[in-house]
Amino acid sequence: MTFRMPRRQFLMGTSALAAAGAFGLRPAFAQDEALRLIWWGGQARADRTLAVADAYAASTGTTPPEGEFLSWNDYWPKLATQVAGGTAPDVLQMDYRFIVEYATRNAIAPMDDYLGGVLNLDDFDEDQLEGGKVDGKLYGLSLGANSVAMLVNTTAFEEAGVAVPDRDWTYDTMREIGEAFKAANIRGGMTGMSDGSGSEPMLDNWIRQRGKPLYTAEGKLGPNVDDMVEWFTMWNEFRDAGYINSAEDQALDTGAAEVSMVALNKAAMIPSNSNQLVIHQSINPDTLTITSYPRIAAGVGGGHYRKPSQFWSISGASQNKEAAAAFLSYFVNDVEAGKVLGVERGIPCSAAVRDAVAPTLSEQDQIALNFVANLGDLLGPLPASPPNAAGEIDTSLLRVLSQEVGFGGRSAEDAGKFFVDEATAILNRAS
Amino acid sequence: MSIGAHVLLIGASIIMLYPLLWLLSASLKPQEQIFTSGIWPTIDWSIDSYFRGWNGLRTSFSVFFMNSFVIAVLSVVGNLIACSMAAYAFARLRFKGRNFWFAMMLGTLMLPSQVTLIPQYVLFRDLGWINTILPLVVPKFLAVDAFFIFLMVQFFRGIPRELDEAAMMDGCSPWRIFYKIMLPLSMPVLVTVSIFTFIWTWDDFFAPLIYLNRMQDYTVMLGLRTFVDSTGESDYGGLFAMSVLSIVPIFLFFLFFQRLLIEGIATTGMKR
Amino acid sequence: MAVNAAEAAVPDAASGNSIWSRAWQNHAPGYLFLLPWFIGFFGLTVGPIITSFYLSFTDFDLLTPAEWVGVDNYVRMFTNDRSFAASMRVTFFFVIFSVPLKLAFALGVAVLLNRGMKGLPLYRALFYLPSLLGASVAIAILWRQIFARDGLVNDVLSIFGIVGPSWISNPNYSLWTLIILSIWQFGSPMIIFLAGLRQIPQDMYEAASLDGAGKWRQFVKITLPLLTPVVFFNAIIQTIEAFKSFTPAFIISGGTGAPINSTLFYTLYLYNEAFSFFRMGYASALAWFLLLLIACFTAFSFLTSKYWVHYDD
Repeated sequence: MTFRMPRRQFLMGTSALAAAGAFGLRPAFAQDEALRLIWWGGQARADRTLAVADAYAASTGTTPPEGEFLSWNDYWPKLATQVAGGTAPDVLQMDYRFIVEYATRNAIAPMDDYLGGVLNLDDFDEDQLEGGKVDGKLYGLSLGANSVAMLVNTTAFEEAGVAVPDRDWTYDTMREIGEAFKAANIRGGMTGMSDGSGSEPMLDNWIRQRGKPLYTAEGKLGPNVDDMVEWFTMWNEFRDAGYINSAEDQALDTGAAEVSMVALNKAAMIPSNSNQLVIHQSINPDTLTITSYPRIAAGVGGGHYRKPSQFWSISGASQNKEAAAAFLSYFVNDVEAGKVLGVERGIPCSAAVRDAVAPTLSEQDQIALNFVANLGDLLGPLPASPPNAAGEIDTSLLRVLSQEVGFGGRSAEDAGKFFVDEATAILNRAS
Repeated sequence: MSIGAHVLLIGASIIMLYPLLWLLSASLKPQEQIFTSGIWPTIDWSIDSYFRGWNGLRTSFSVFFMNSFVIAVLSVVGNLIACSMAAYAFARLRFKGRNFWFAMMLGTLMLPSQVTLIPQYVLFRDLGWINTILPLVVPKFLAVDAFFIFLMVQFFRGIPRELDEAAMMDGCSPWRIFYKIMLPLSMPVLVTVSIFTFIWTWDDFFAPLIYLNRMQDYTVMLGLRTFVDSTGESDYGGLFAMSVLSIVPIFLFFLFFQRLLIEGIATTGMKR
Repeated sequence: MAVNAAEAAVPDAASGNSIWSRAWQNHAPGYLFLLPWFIGFFGLTVGPIITSFYLSFTDFDLLTPAEWVGVDNYVRMFTNDRSFAASMRVTFFFVIFSVPLKLAFALGVAVLLNRGMKGLPLYRALFYLPSLLGASVAIAILWRQIFARDGLVNDVLSIFGIVGPSWISNPNYSLWTLIILSIWQFGSPMIIFLAGLRQIPQDMYEAASLDGAGKWRQFVKITLPLLTPVVFFNAIIQTIEAFKSFTPAFIISGGTGAPINSTLFYTLYLYNEAFSFFRMGYASALAWFLLLLIACFTAFSFLTSKYWVHYDD
């Protein structure tokens, strides 16, 4: 018995109401052949995306694709409902965290059949193409590369009389910065950096510099107990010394930009992403910039990678897969489209588009573009797509443990062991 | 009443008002100062956010307000009719299985809506109602809001039985008793149901989020949520400006109807 | 349509004498008045509810067809799920403290506002304002402004030389800030109390004050007893709502139940299981356990209600 197709069962109980459907305000699913798109994002992203959709329709003489956009929090329950109901739009925006989940369950379709046909990816960055593959098949078309980056409040650094860290800075530099901010005591005790112990990207970056992935290609946990104990111990030292925010302050950060430690004026730096500079700058009167995550020791690199931040995927239930693929090809390759889209979703993955776009960018976008383009020795190999349960380990294990340690409810030794045991159990359950 | 009571009430009102003042002040500030400065408006305050917000999305907020208004009014009408009928049956009429059905009705209050969401979506899909306001409105005419039935039952049971028993003796049908005696005597609860239905429908975003796909069909609450996305550029100023405006209709509705709540009793004159 | 039939049914049936027609006369009006509800119940509600019950025995993940797993979900809930236990503790704590406080507050203010005092409509409206704000994004930001370390509460406390913690982000106090939020939005039960108070005949108070009964005595002897159906209603509804409470924690903790699961409400946990981790089958089992819990509580309340709730019938 399946749940996907209970059409008949439902109608038996509701035949009286079925007639009522006849006076629906408008015919449902009017088949005008327009592609349906759905993505998360704000109005700025929508304006750009829909302008490209309209331009595509004008150039091909087809009906303009219909777009729907929601905020991140609203997007996932709605998409899941639509997939379960078989009404998902033809083209949907996908996240690195969920692509395996959706691909292994056929909610999104592989695009390999259209490669070389309507879908032209000759000019596409190889690592970004790899990032959209699940089990060797292309499920997601990267809409931009990003990299993790420290978001830095340069105004605060000037006030404290501390030099903004350059790309060679290390966790030891962190101690100096922490001391300097303590001594300067600006803005009611602003620290040099927020508590990064619960940040999955920061842990990922740190463990990669030690030569291990956070998750192996087989979907197993990379770090062992010793690694994790060292991780929590290091942050304990920072916290005890007052270099980073107290657990109480750190817990004010629930993930949104407006409650980050930088937005709240509680820290001069937070671990973030290259594409987050714009949103943080828009709500902060100080001058912000980005720099790399700290190195574990001078000269050690390889922690960063160019991460595909967002994908376009084709719905597994779509009746118009080929048309969708043709549209996506235009979306990522057309130079004019690229100029409209800018780097709002990340750095374009087609070299031609990237070259055309670069001169048109704003100051913050330039910073982000240059940062991602010039990672140099910081750049390591692209890791395998995270396993199904990665999201759960991040939100309900790492973040909770970091707070438990921060508030003193758990020792670093205990937390390290608990993390490895529990994460392994979650991974086993999900596979 | 004493001056002391007034002082107490004014003090309490200020605490109650604080959020609105904050919201108002946030809507008048330049975006980069919203989260870093206190409640008091800055020197360079402006009403730009209101203009930007009103037309900030692809569809203007006038459309969202209209949509919300239509849905809320239809919901009020539906709940008033359907829930009062059901409540009258449960409160006054005797029939086999009354207690059983009453328990079933209460039971529907208890299941968290998150798990019936998808089966319900599939059902409305099969009826061809997705992308229309029918999933939001038709259930109201079928009394699916058990809360209101239960509320009215409690009030109907407070109305003296002698009144409808006397009418029954005179040969009045249940229907006549219902609309000649019960409804007029129940003005306070009918007004209460109207107020709650209007406000809750207005504030609801989850059902519109799931069932409405096209922006020209969006409600105000859905429009508001579209302003801010944690992963990209967001218009907080527009959000707060439109949040202030979104409260205006429900506040006016409340102000107007709460007068009925008080006057209703005077005009019907409950005598016993 | 149904109502016309109800009206017509009675005279028709009255003309006959058989058992059937008497049965018709006795029971039909009730069912006819319930007709819209029956259509809604069987057409829109029962199907999804039964489906969710079925899904609670499956591994439904939203994206692929469900497969039967028997009672696995229920077993896991009680034997191998620390978050379940944590969310139970949070929810019970919330119910026990928020419901009585909110009701007492709502009743007190309603009684205070149910007078012929000048400017009362304005006060009523102001007191209802927080409830109008509902679950707006603004609430989350606002609550932080009030309950953070450098927030309004600590500013007031500092006048008395007290240095307060960051209430909202300290796991020892964070749940209390949500309880206060719930009490602060006391508008709905207040309105229901007000409507109940308006229904109490004024002449009863007049008679009582002629007998020399004071305000407090009138409240205890007249207001409270006549208000018990409404008190009962509010108590049951608020308890059910508190058990199902979702939005405050969802908005203020950003959906995580942080810090350290101290605000991990039951339905928040359920929502995350269903929509963040794609375990709708497990979430359905959680939902049915919650329903069982609330049903037991409600049944108990109804059983005891005959000792303290006074209806006119």
